[in-house]
Amino acid sequence: MLTETPLVIFTIIAQMSAGSFVVLGLIHLLYVRTDPATMDRVSDPALYAIGPVLVLGLVASTFHLGSPMRAANALRHLDSSWLSREILAGLIFALLGGLFAVCQWRKWLPARTRQALAVVVAVNGLVLVYCIGRVYTLRTVPAWDTSLTMVRFFTTTILLGSLAVGAALVIASLARARKGGEAAASRLLILNSVRGIAVGCVVLLGVKFVVQQSYISGLANNPDPAAKASMDILSKTDGGFSLAQGILTFACLAILGIFLAQLSRGKVGHRAVVSVAMSAFSLILVGEVIGRMLFYASMVRVGM
Amino acid sequence: MTKFKQLGFYIDQANCTGCKACQTACNDKHDLPVGVKWRRVAEYAGGSTEQDDADGTFRANVFSYYTSISCNHCEDPICVEVCPSQAMKKGENGIVSIDPEVCIGCRYCEMACPYSAPQFNAAQGVMTKCDFCADFLAQDRAPACVAACPSRVLDYGEVDDLRKKYGSENGIEPLPDPDITHPNLVITPHKDAQASGHGTGAIANPREI
Repeated sequence: MLTETPLVIFTIIAQMSAGSFVVLGLIHLLYVRTDPATMDRVSDPALYAIGPVLVLGLVASTFHLGSPMRAANALRHLDSSWLSREILAGLIFALLGGLFAVCQWRKWLPARTRQALAVVVAVNGLVLVYCIGRVYTLRTVPAWDTSLTMVRFFTTTILLGSLAVGAALVIASLARARKGGEAAASRLLILNSVRGIAVGCVVLLGVKFVVQQSYISGLANNPDPAAKASMDILSKTDGGFSLAQGILTFACLAILGIFLAQLSRGKVGHRAVVSVAMSAFSLILVGEVIGRMLFYASMVRVGM
Repeated sequence: MTKFKQLGFYIDQANCTGCKACQTACNDKHDLPVGVKWRRVAEYAGGSTEQDDADGTFRANVFSYYTSISCNHCEDPICVEVCPSQAMKKGENGIVSIDPEVCIGCRYCEMACPYSAPQFNAAQGVMTKCDFCADFLAQDRAPACVAACPSRVLDYGEVDDLRKKYGSENGIEPLPDPDITHPNLVITPHKDAQASGHGTGAIANPREI
């Protein structure tokens, strides 16, 4: 299970970063009538967190290399290798995202231009996730060579991204409260955002369960011995990890469901919002890391 | 030296004894560290033992055959296609080789190649593979593996000539569907050989290859 750890870290972080950026954009879009000062106060800390995390992911990916000093050579085969394209997309996303964060921080450029830049960065993030998906849709690995690889990666992207944003919003809110009080308007925006994230994630977790079922039945019905070997790894050798991922994912779903049920009955305290956002994120992060480790562990090639 | 359009290897599975002299000669010629295997010999085995109801005797209905594989210097080399650094190239005489000065050691070719031809050298931090003994070819000598085979079941040469001489079979278990990479390989199948994708056996020595 401890194979390809640098790649587990890189792909999880890249997808989480891309997803966070998209979800932050959606929050801006959906709560457009919120006072801009409140919006920036609440969402900027989450934005600033993405950059360092993404850089950490890119650095982690070089630990996978046998010759990390030559990492730049990875960009030499853009016309044919999805791996080259993946690295380029990662760099562009990091650079443009960083540029946007600096502009947002210093309030450079008019607000409209910044918004346009944010859209470009978000699209780049999704392109990065698409490239990662293509890298692993490798025609010699039956466990990966399915359109569901792409679906699974995008589900992880939005799921992990939105829950990371939820956690970042409440952590920043706690920090502000400790420093001298958190405005009621900020708390309301956070409550609304976390509710939106919870609704979105309940849907995505449903997608995840359905996709997982079709993935497993597709793999089980693949006649290639390599597919059978992958199946054995997922269900026998590392079956406990598969079970753990399922339980963690369900626990996250349960927490979000209970939260939404409480919310429909009336007011939910700010402390409850904080603990829901934090625990849902932690559960899904651990679950997705285990899922990604299983993804690499199940890699078995056709042939000899 | 003789020039080739496209070099290829030939294996006579029917007469291969699985002695692995080819692999040993390769390891020796290229001074490969333990675990780095530019040529591998897979043993594919299957079948079962059945008891005769009439007299209670046992009858073995089993098979086993060997396939010696290095790199097939494929027509559509997936390693070249996926390599992010262009270290992997198809060059002179159709030989697929790695530039050790360019390779970043990402091991993506290793994940992709269905013949396990690219082999990671941890000490050097780069991928390595069969170069068809290019230095021997330059002196018109046979590659080390072919020269070493005591049963004379290996051959090499212009792949079109090999096909004229030995036929065009190259899809035998445990090898993958040849349509994936179009290997420059010709096989005389063992009498029990099974077609790729229709195997009933399994590789009996997975840790050896």
